[in-house]
Amino acid sequence: MAAADNTSAALRRRDLCSRGIRLAGKMRSDVVDLLDTYVERQGLDASASVAAVEGVPAAAVERWDEQTGTQRLLENLAAYRAFRALLAQMLEEQQEQLGEADAALGRALAAVLLQVSAFTYHLEELLRLESRGPPSEEGAEPPPAPHLSLFERKLRGLGVLRELAQWAVRSTRDLRQLAKPSPGSSSAASLAESP
Amino acid sequence: DSHIQYERVGADVTMKCGSMDWDAAVTWTANGTDIDASHLNGSYLILKKVDLTQSGQYSCYEGSSWHLKYQTYLRVGTPPKEPLLMCRSNNYPKGFYCSWHLPTPTYIPNSFNISVIHGTREMVCEKDVFPKNRCHIRYLQLFSTVKYKVTLTVTNALGKNSTTATFDEFAIVKPDPPESVVAKPVPNNPRRLEVSWQNPSSWPDPESFPLKFFLRYRPLILDQWQHVELSDGTSHTITDAYAGKEYIIQVAAKDNDIGTWSDWSVAVHATPWTEEPKHLTTEAQVTETTSASTSSFMPPPTTKICDKGAVVGSGAVAVCWTAGLVLAAYGVLFI
Repeated sequence: MAAADNTSAALRRRDLCSRGIRLAGKMRSDVVDLLDTYVERQGLDASASVAAVEGVPAAAVERWDEQTGTQRLLENLAAYRAFRALLAQMLEEQQEQLGEADAALGRALAAVLLQVSAFTYHLEELLRLESRGPPSEEGAEPPPAPHLSLFERKLRGLGVLRELAQWAVRSTRDLRQLAKPSPGSSSAASLAESP
Repeated sequence: DSHIQYERVGADVTMKCGSMDWDAAVTWTANGTDIDASHLNGSYLILKKVDLTQSGQYSCYEGSSWHLKYQTYLRVGTPPKEPLLMCRSNNYPKGFYCSWHLPTPTYIPNSFNISVIHGTREMVCEKDVFPKNRCHIRYLQLFSTVKYKVTLTVTNALGKNSTTATFDEFAIVKPDPPESVVAKPVPNNPRRLEVSWQNPSSWPDPESFPLKFFLRYRPLILDQWQHVELSDGTSHTITDAYAGKEYIIQVAAKDNDIGTWSDWSVAVHATPWTEEPKHLTTEAQVTETTSASTSSFMPPPTTKICDKGAVVGSGAVAVCWTAGLVLAAYGVLFI
């Protein structure tokens, strides 16, 4: 019984990982396109340096190769939950800002938001498989956006999208690591405990 | 005592004979050869608009005693021009390397100093023993949006110059070309070629960081390449090769998600299988060969189509003749 569970769990995990990799790939490609549109429509300079934006999860990580599967999933989940809120905020601001001219930008933002939500759900599923279950979202609200000028908000949006593009690449790598059979994985540990 | 003296090409050089007075009688030599007195101003040696050929050992001897009073090595050269700097990661995600060179030689020794800054952090670039003008860095962070700033300063006795390169982690990723590219004909398939290759050995983890590949091929007689992009696997079968024509084939690699394409691999040549004698070993030939004389070989019996015992009478002849005509037509088309 336990062996069968292990196999089906392992298969489900591999399946979720490969679908997640495809999702992340599509998401990245759409975010990169969105970045081009965003820069153009918001009248920004593509090479503008944006300082680390508060409340935006940085994709940069040290000792990435030493992370456990669970760590990877938890960090990814926290990040995409934050991006979901940030993008929703951006969409709201954008809709307030201008009308028809930026309908295309609004649509592109909404499409990416949808993918981020889907990916978040995907990560939650993977965490459930790790028999950890995803942490609750209570108290995990990002701090309310500080009161910024229009231009500052545009720059902040640029920072959000850039970081999201990095995350999409990181997530692809993380999921590939997860898909590898690993002796130290948490599912193997929980298996050892079953009678 | 002797020392080294560096001077710019085109400069005027005045050498004093150590502590000798200006009006002392001295003889100067260049690499052991006496220098004509016309170049002297008193005991000073004047060299006008020096060029590279004037580098060498200059010695000054007291007139009568021939005591060596002064010796110097003159090295004529130029201050460094702006160096060319290139950084690349062919072993992602381990790290990257930077290499540099001067666009024109200075003819005198140069020293290089490189600094790598990532955000606020200064990183150490470890110099390679070989090649000399190269150093490498291990990534401390991955997936960073913060750019790297590399500054190279080159200094010599006549001046200095520097250059800076700024880039982000993903942009410089460029694998080495695929290795061990092999192309083989496929028996009994005149339009196929089987190509296989390996991941470059410098790429540390192809499982977690898979590469995708680009194959290009053309017959030697044509200039236009055919291209195939392959998102996985390290082999591919070409199915539209021109029969009997020699092909040239190359493969390039790229990380699946980031960076740029590698250079093209070493080119391999292959010709698809044909029914020519040298490509065919029929059963008949194998059984008949007892003492094979390697310098000559028998042309095979007629093609397999005609050999089929099942075909009888005039039908058999027609089949053979048709097959022969098709082959001849092919041959004419592709001469």
